[in-house]
Amino acid sequence: MTPELDTETRAAPNYDDQFDAIVVGAGLAGSAAALTMASRGLEVLIVERGSSPGAKNVFGGVLYTPTIRELTEFDDAPLERYVAERRFSMLSRDDETAVSLRPGEWHREPHNDSYTVLRGEFDEWFAEQAVEAGATLVTETTVTGLVRERGRIVGVETDRPDGTIRAPYVVLAEGGNSLVSEGANLKPTESRENVAVAVKEVLEFPDREGVIEDRFRLVDDAGVSYHYFGEGAVGDAFGGGFIYTNEETVSVGVAYRIEDAVAADQSPEETLNAFKTHPAVAPLVRDARTVEYSAKTIPEGGAESVPDLVHDGGVIVGDAAGLVLNNGVHLEGTNMAVESGYHAARAIARAADRGRTDAAALRAYPEALEQSFVVQNLERYAWLMDAVEADRDLLFEELPRAFADAGTEYFRMDRQPKEVHADDAKDVVLDALGGWTGAAKLALRYRKVVT
Amino acid sequence: MTWTIAVGVKQVPDADEVGIDPDTGRLDRASAPAVMNGPDRHALEAALTIRDQVGGEVIAMTMGPPNATSVLEEAVAMGSDDAVLISDRAFAGSDTWPTSLTLARAAEALEADVVVCGEETTDSSTGQVPPGIAAHNGWAQLTYAEAVDARPEEGRLAARRDVEGGYELVAAELPVVVAVAFGEFDPRPAPLHRKIYGENDFEPTVWDAEALGIEDEVGLDVSPTSVGRMETVDPVERKGEVVDEVDGLLEPIAEVRA
Repeated sequence: MTPELDTETRAAPNYDDQFDAIVVGAGLAGSAAALTMASRGLEVLIVERGSSPGAKNVFGGVLYTPTIRELTEFDDAPLERYVAERRFSMLSRDDETAVSLRPGEWHREPHNDSYTVLRGEFDEWFAEQAVEAGATLVTETTVTGLVRERGRIVGVETDRPDGTIRAPYVVLAEGGNSLVSEGANLKPTESRENVAVAVKEVLEFPDREGVIEDRFRLVDDAGVSYHYFGEGAVGDAFGGGFIYTNEETVSVGVAYRIEDAVAADQSPEETLNAFKTHPAVAPLVRDARTVEYSAKTIPEGGAESVPDLVHDGGVIVGDAAGLVLNNGVHLEGTNMAVESGYHAARAIARAADRGRTDAAALRAYPEALEQSFVVQNLERYAWLMDAVEADRDLLFEELPRAFADAGTEYFRMDRQPKEVHADDAKDVVLDALGGWTGAAKLALRYRKVVT
Repeated sequence: MTWTIAVGVKQVPDADEVGIDPDTGRLDRASAPAVMNGPDRHALEAALTIRDQVGGEVIAMTMGPPNATSVLEEAVAMGSDDAVLISDRAFAGSDTWPTSLTLARAAEALEADVVVCGEETTDSSTGQVPPGIAAHNGWAQLTYAEAVDARPEEGRLAARRDVEGGYELVAAELPVVVAVAFGEFDPRPAPLHRKIYGENDFEPTVWDAEALGIEDEVGLDVSPTSVGRMETVDPVERKGEVVDEVDGLLEPIAEVRA
């Protein structure tokens, strides 16, 4: 007896309007949106250009997780370490002046919802949560444009043959380099003053058990987040450097404005190498081997650069929407991406209930975002970038040097009385600040960063 | 008339991800994800090319555990009309003899006019299975095919074969087994809707050893291959010498050649 093929096959499958929504990009914003919609019973297609979610995604290294915790079974998430120490460090050419915080509370669950993660693993896991909730994922497929009818977004075009697919809603979660949104005139191309370039290396320490724990004073799953400013971190550019500890590796990188990379002719590679060899940084990364090198662009235009978030049949979320906060003390983006994907998905689910796809029916998304920490934080610090730009020499070069010099004077060991040292230290700082008046003005100008 | 074209595909560890441990210098295969054997993508492309030439059906077949379904899904995404998973615990330990017998029986069951395979698999590299299928069925074979030319009016398939110093054109009567030279058939990208269908909604037919009537002819016991001994060979130490001046180069070369 001969066996037979018993499958029912479809000669020309067509999925036009078989999905309620198409999500462009399986990063954190896209997967948060897909997961939220799928959990509410919508049929969702996620289109990802990498070979797996996260394969193309880059960030510094710390993920803030209060919303992700609400959306999924967070216990299974592939986390590296929780952040047990935050350190802010000013670097001049060869000095370091630092402030470090290690609150006991951060050692306890939920660890202030701050964890280092590796995106290749985390994003794949997060997208899996969306797939488990019912979403469909296609990888190695690049969305190249939108399909529109009388202005309304009705689907996407991809780089594959037979590559157009239609759906009532499109969620643009394509990241900072948002070619689809820009190509469809949903947002202007950002100017280079408002975009930072970031480069990052992941380092491992071959044959050295416990080296991360020893160098960064850690036990168990504790980790650190070190931020560096000043000319020792990124030379003449406006930006900073960072070190984050993963489970077995360390992420080290720099981020600064593309404008400065061009104007100061400062390549990301040179800048990162200079940072890694700074006397305060080199011992932390000594004898390491680079296992990964990555780069990305960060939209840092702040509240003013956020485009219209809703259109007929489409929404923009995450980095594509410019939802990144960098005020020097707080560097946040992925948490805002998740939050925006979540709110966008809820708005779509409600609009779908009413059978509507027009922008007005999706307004609930930007309204919810405005009420959330995302827009509130962006607006709170909207003034900051301009102020820092105006004071950049003072903040990034003169002050780091002055604080280092003041420290040197204050703790000087010679045969002079301490009063002389204290006066010298004070003079160095006041010189840099422009006297007591300058100091008072500066304090007033930046009080809102921390208060 | 149209042809039924069977394609053999296999799931193997991803050669790109088979890392070399930098400390020990050993291959790390365990961490590599399972993917379709690279040469089989080229076989699929050749099969789809033949279908483009004569019309008919391309049916992918794989022998492997249930999770090997993913390579069939990929084959359907790329354009295969159907797919069959040949899966049975009885196959465990089969070498190229029972493997090619199984695929030969499956090709017969599919009433294949043409069987297309990659020239070899990246995880064992014997290249014995395609000729084995032809031998078990007493069919013609065209190995190392660089180009295919279907001639339905003659009932023959012609292929350009890569041979040392050039190529030869050979036409074979159907049914015929074709082993495709690696690198000669650039695989086409999967169309979007087929990709969604193949990966999410398609389910292959599953045949076991009994369905093919070969339950007593497969597995480790009937595999004639036996590994006699393994030997680790140390590389030959090579002499190296740095010559400072270009003029000084000729002499050592002459010495070596002497």
